[in-house]
Amino acid sequence: MEIGIDIGGTFTDAVLRRDGGALRSLKVPSTPDDPARAVGHALSRLLGQGDAEAVRRFLLGTTVATNAILENTAAPVGLIATRGFADVIELGRMTRASNYDLLFGPQTPVDFVPPSRRREVTERIGADGAVVEPLDEAGVAEAARSLKAAGARSIAICFLFAFLDPSHERRAREIVLAACPDLAVSLSSEVDPAPREYERTCATVFDAALKPVMGDYLGRVEAILREAEIRVPLQVMHSRGGLLGAGAARGRPIRLTLSGPSAAAIGAASVLRDAGLADGVSIDVGGTSADVAVIRGGAPALRMDGMIGTFPVRVPTADVLAVAAGGGSIAWVDGAGGLRVGPRSAGAVPGPACYGRGGMRPTVLDASVVLGLVDPAAFAAGELALDAAAAAAAIERDIAGPLGLGLREAAVAIHRIINATMAEAVRSVTVARGTDPRELPLVPAGGGGGLHAAAIAEELGQTRIVVPAAPGVLAATGLLDAPLEHDAARGLGQVLDTLPEVELRAIIAELVAECQAAMAAEGVEAAPETLVTASASFVGQGHSLEVAIPPDASEPGRAIRDGFIAAHRAAYGHARAAPVRLVLLRALQRLAAPVVALIPADSAFAARRTRVAVLGGLPQDVAVVPRAALAPGEVLHGPAILEQDDTTLVVPAGWRVAAHPAHLMMERVA
Amino acid sequence: MNATTFHTGRLDPATIEIVRRRLEAIAEEMQAVMLRSAVSPIVREANDASASIFLPDGTVMAQSTSLPLLLGCLMPAIATMLRDFPLAQMRSGDVYLMNDPYDGGTHIPDVSLMLPVFAEGQVIALAGTILHHQDLGGLTPGSLPTTATEIFQEGLRLPPLRLVRDGVTDAQIMRIISLNTRTPEAFGWDLEAQIAACRTAAARMEELAARHGAEALTAMMQELVRRAEAATRTAIRAIPDGSWTYEDALDNDGVDLDRPVPIRLCVTVKDDTITLDFTGTSPQVRGPVNAAPAGVMAGAFFALRAVTGPDIPNNGGCARPLRVVLPEGSLLNPRMPAAVNARTGTVKLLTNAILGALAQALPERIPAANSGCATVMALSGRHADGSAWVVTEVMAGGSGGSSQGPGVHGVSTDVGNTMNLPVEAMETDAPVRVHRLSVRRGSGGAGLHAGGCGIEREYEVLRGPLTLTFRGERHYHAARGSAGGQDGLMAEAWVIRRDGRREEVRSKLTTVLSTGDRLLMGTAGAGGWGPSA
Repeated sequence: MEIGIDIGGTFTDAVLRRDGGALRSLKVPSTPDDPARAVGHALSRLLGQGDAEAVRRFLLGTTVATNAILENTAAPVGLIATRGFADVIELGRMTRASNYDLLFGPQTPVDFVPPSRRREVTERIGADGAVVEPLDEAGVAEAARSLKAAGARSIAICFLFAFLDPSHERRAREIVLAACPDLAVSLSSEVDPAPREYERTCATVFDAALKPVMGDYLGRVEAILREAEIRVPLQVMHSRGGLLGAGAARGRPIRLTLSGPSAAAIGAASVLRDAGLADGVSIDVGGTSADVAVIRGGAPALRMDGMIGTFPVRVPTADVLAVAAGGGSIAWVDGAGGLRVGPRSAGAVPGPACYGRGGMRPTVLDASVVLGLVDPAAFAAGELALDAAAAAAAIERDIAGPLGLGLREAAVAIHRIINATMAEAVRSVTVARGTDPRELPLVPAGGGGGLHAAAIAEELGQTRIVVPAAPGVLAATGLLDAPLEHDAARGLGQVLDTLPEVELRAIIAELVAECQAAMAAEGVEAAPETLVTASASFVGQGHSLEVAIPPDASEPGRAIRDGFIAAHRAAYGHARAAPVRLVLLRALQRLAAPVVALIPADSAFAARRTRVAVLGGLPQDVAVVPRAALAPGEVLHGPAILEQDDTTLVVPAGWRVAAHPAHLMMERVA
Repeated sequence: MNATTFHTGRLDPATIEIVRRRLEAIAEEMQAVMLRSAVSPIVREANDASASIFLPDGTVMAQSTSLPLLLGCLMPAIATMLRDFPLAQMRSGDVYLMNDPYDGGTHIPDVSLMLPVFAEGQVIALAGTILHHQDLGGLTPGSLPTTATEIFQEGLRLPPLRLVRDGVTDAQIMRIISLNTRTPEAFGWDLEAQIAACRTAAARMEELAARHGAEALTAMMQELVRRAEAATRTAIRAIPDGSWTYEDALDNDGVDLDRPVPIRLCVTVKDDTITLDFTGTSPQVRGPVNAAPAGVMAGAFFALRAVTGPDIPNNGGCARPLRVVLPEGSLLNPRMPAAVNARTGTVKLLTNAILGALAQALPERIPAANSGCATVMALSGRHADGSAWVVTEVMAGGSGGSSQGPGVHGVSTDVGNTMNLPVEAMETDAPVRVHRLSVRRGSGGAGLHAGGCGIEREYEVLRGPLTLTFRGERHYHAARGSAGGQDGLMAEAWVIRRDGRREEVRSKLTTVLSTGDRLLMGTAGAGGWGPSA
């Protein structure tokens, strides 16, 4: 038996998969004051008598790290920088996020490290990696003591060019820990060993700020597991779509920032695999936002330059695009008389008008209720009765009245706009990157994915939609299918021609050995898969490309050059005969999770029925079918609505849906 | 707003909103295509390229998120090309280009491109891109000679030309350009990037027209322009009627170092129109800080968008309530053959002046003056192996204090939004060592909400000789406070020779630095807002 729990901002999703694949899932409200508490709530409902001993894996996905950065609730962190450069974190790259906003505030994480918690020490490494000035060791000890006195619970050490020679940073850590053994320390040469001091400093500062927070939090989750008598080690999802032991996660918490969305992308990859597919695009529609991810070759596509809010977080992450479009997106009329939907959201509190919790503004969910797509009595497995009259009143007052539309017309208009917004999001990760979305099946997830999937697919010309067994808890099921992964990187920043092959081979061997040690620390006995990648650019070019090379290449330098030139040509359409700079080498070891097809639990819903719903703009009698009532192999033709505990799937006319044990395959037939 | 009813006529409100977002997404896709395939470092690193979609009459319909300065400059370029090549003469697949600062352009390296989009046999839109090319000849590599006194020293001028017809690129035009650039290969690639972006837009617009019908699409685009104009007029009406003046000055023109160059402006808001009258601004100057009208329009468009609100659809309708008076032969509307390459500082200051005048009417919504500088520092020399290198840095000052809070230190403001050069990138590319990069503490003007501070930097030459080109601003004229706040501290810069001699940089300088020489610089602080407590 295996358990996956994904802690989101509003809900904590939990799944339990028995050894044969039988799945139970549930949602409990998140507990932001102490996110670990929701894990306890979920476990108490999930585990039956004697189940705890049977748990073989316990996996956690979490937005706690991201939220701590977005809300600046991480621990007070102190920064020790090269003399002259304490303000790099404040000045950033000099840009602002919004062009036409005159009243903008700081664009860099100044509030994490105010000037009172920045110190400079004398030391310098040059652009060639040679020591220009030795480290002022007494200065480091003094800086550590005064930062502690200023309230710092952790220290980020960021020296210029430390990625070329980490010796000063390492020595500084020894001195800090000797002076103040209770401080957590992060080194830029370990967190993000690559050139560009602002981006590296950001990653290091966030890593340090998260250490006390994530350490405490993972400790509380472990305590809850002990209480529940679950005796397997806690494993946590990291941003690039793999699992880490809790110990490794504590040591580098910056790797956890995209934990939840990357788990959902893994979940989408599993659903596609179940349908015999390797590529697709997933859209996970929640209350305030939709996450879009491209799946390639059975795994989420990656990016090397993630962002949290406006801050760069340069660690490899699943390439997930979040757009402000969800069930809570508010419909409004702009100053020019145009109908808009979003980006503002009613959130969970006060929520859409139909929640009856004081929300007055009309939202996408209110439109879904007015259109008859969502049954007010059956929302969230019947746990929240929706107020259809309040939904209608809000749309009538704010949209239909001012625009001179009928109620139904207004609700249709709201839906069309939010569907187009979601379709634009899919376009921007496909079309805008040179991929034709028509070739990719769509995987809808989250509470709202199924409501909008067919409309998005029609907008984009997609003809296949693969619906997960439990769309509302895709991130939690994704945890079960994620590989165990460890990586190690070394910044080089040198012209490839100046690096002898023998040296490159030695560096690769060291990095692979680091991964092996991390795997061994997790008790892994099976032989993992080993991957080696290089980041490279032409000399003089700012942006690098990632290329994979064989781990046992006898001439890694040649492999990197050839791979880079091919990748450059593929990405940009041209390459030149210029020298290549090797920015960074990375090794990664990966142990795949066992493949187990899910068998979803029976639904609590009643029999098939019909109700009036607006599909294709027209009200009509539509068959409403509990998803659990569909036998494997059964085919249903639209118009129809499929209901299950956590979501509703709209099947318009012209689509048919075929039931499989662990997914639905929806195809356009007209 | 509950009683208001909007009459949308036969246009369905959802479709028009979906089309609006589609148009914006197409502009963004153009931008992405262009950046992906461009090669010039200034494009790749500083995003110095922009894309827009226009209506057949030259009204801008949708813009990518990119530099406001360039977006604004594309509008007059399209107008000029339309004047010389009327719609009736266009064929599908045509590509037009131009760069002449004296006929709709801004400065020589910015080349604008236009491609007509056809549907049902008619031109339904124009795809436009503008990109800062690496070199188009002139006195110095990069075509931005700080000592130029005539446009003829700045590089190759291109009038509106038809570059492509029936799928064939005009080889003669390409030969002329190739013979006049130091980097013909890069020029070709970057031009291809612009064309690829326009062709992408054309394909997407054709799909859109096929879906909605050309007539309906045109009606919707015109409606969006009408709405933007109406909403902008409503927003202007909310500004009290009146006239407000503002005066500022460039330190000098880079050639005559002792003479400040005043910018004077009177903004008049009357009913639903805004007039910007620059009468009284300095006559055109010898140095290259003159700004072609296109740059002025970019600053005006930015200021108008910024004060009328982000909820208004962003298109040419927003510009219709705007009237700009630029005296002929002035700094902002120079006669041939004045040099114009260094216009960025001028456009920044005039944008500041527009906002400064409007701030008197809207003190809560507009911050005090930002530091108004985009100090450009370029170092160039030869590596040990004889190959040439050049690194260029653009450095901001602070943003102004406002009713909402203190200004931000060291950040790009108004028409600019370029990135700085990381210390680790600069030291890797050039034989210099940076000793300091810090907030210039105390340089922001005092006030209830202090102005943002400038930046301090210190460089040491590790291996000379190298050439320093320094284009500063605000060395002699402070960024002014607003609503009772204090002025920001002025910029300063010094060359410290190895023997200890200190030479003050008088805002603009070209000099040779030797091994061991240092450059110390501090950019200006911004104005504070409100009286100090």
